[in-house]
Amino acid sequence: MMEVEVCRTATTLPPSLVRALASSLPRSVVTANPTERLTAQEAELIRRILAGEKELYYELICPYERSVYVAAFSILRSEADAEDCAQDAILKAFRHLGAFRGESKFGSWLVSIVLNEAKMKLRKLRPGLYESLDEPVTNDEGDYVPQLLGDWREIPSESLERREVRDILVRAVQSLSEIYREVFVLRDIEGFDVASTAQMLEVSEAVVKTRLLRARLQMRDRVAPHIKDSSVLSRSIFKKGKNPWR
Amino acid sequence: MAMTCKDVWREVSNYIDNSISPQARRELELHLAHCRHCTALVDGVHNVIVLVADGRTFSLPAGFSSRLRARLSREL
Repeated sequence: MMEVEVCRTATTLPPSLVRALASSLPRSVVTANPTERLTAQEAELIRRILAGEKELYYELICPYERSVYVAAFSILRSEADAEDCAQDAILKAFRHLGAFRGESKFGSWLVSIVLNEAKMKLRKLRPGLYESLDEPVTNDEGDYVPQLLGDWREIPSESLERREVRDILVRAVQSLSEIYREVFVLRDIEGFDVASTAQMLEVSEAVVKTRLLRARLQMRDRVAPHIKDSSVLSRSIFKKGKNPWR
Repeated sequence: MAMTCKDVWREVSNYIDNSISPQARRELELHLAHCRHCTALVDGVHNVIVLVADGRTFSLPAGFSSRLRARLSREL
């Protein structure tokens, strides 16, 4: 069953208001240009939480609940472990909130904490199975040859109503190597941009793009053979030279 | 210069993210116009991205928020 959304997404306020609010915050929380890193709403929440209003903390992290959980799941591949890890990381972030300098987006900072927490937990839970984070990236210009598959032109949004399709997607993500899985999860499932993903994983943007390409190709090869139903997505927009997807 | 299938496989991700040059986009689309194999590949990658980005695919476990709030109430 899907969790009911109860929180508000962080909103971005006009720059003038952001500057006004930022001027009342401790320097440790606000960067020179807070509009790039921290929404005014988050900055204000952080200020109040650090001043003692702990009950506001859930409101601060609520927009990132799913990102934190999915990031943990991408490493641990177990719902129960991911939930425990997400809770632990959120508590850890609270304890370190005073050290948050606003040098990254709050969501990126939070997800970085959960990724580290999940990797530490994985070492404890399954030391023998832990994949080295130093695993070299396969050269994506190497011998990759896509599977010859039939056309799959539809956007099968209806198919997501079928449990089996969701299971196929989840299993495919779980089957990716960790270095590809974490990039794919952050970029394509949680929608972080390339720069934020690179920052969270402490790798270059070029590495993110390389891993993302490999992850996407593997996902396609593993998912497409299982999803056969076809209504046809018109390619007319595509043929006009526009990107039909973004 | 015409793109080969291998060129397309290398660029499919950037193409979907709209982060290739207009010239490369034109060449890639020219290739797709006559290569069914690469067209199926691009469509497949795109469809996977659309499906996994849908909130229904990776939803929070039931009760996640309630349990989190309860723990925060206990431990903060």
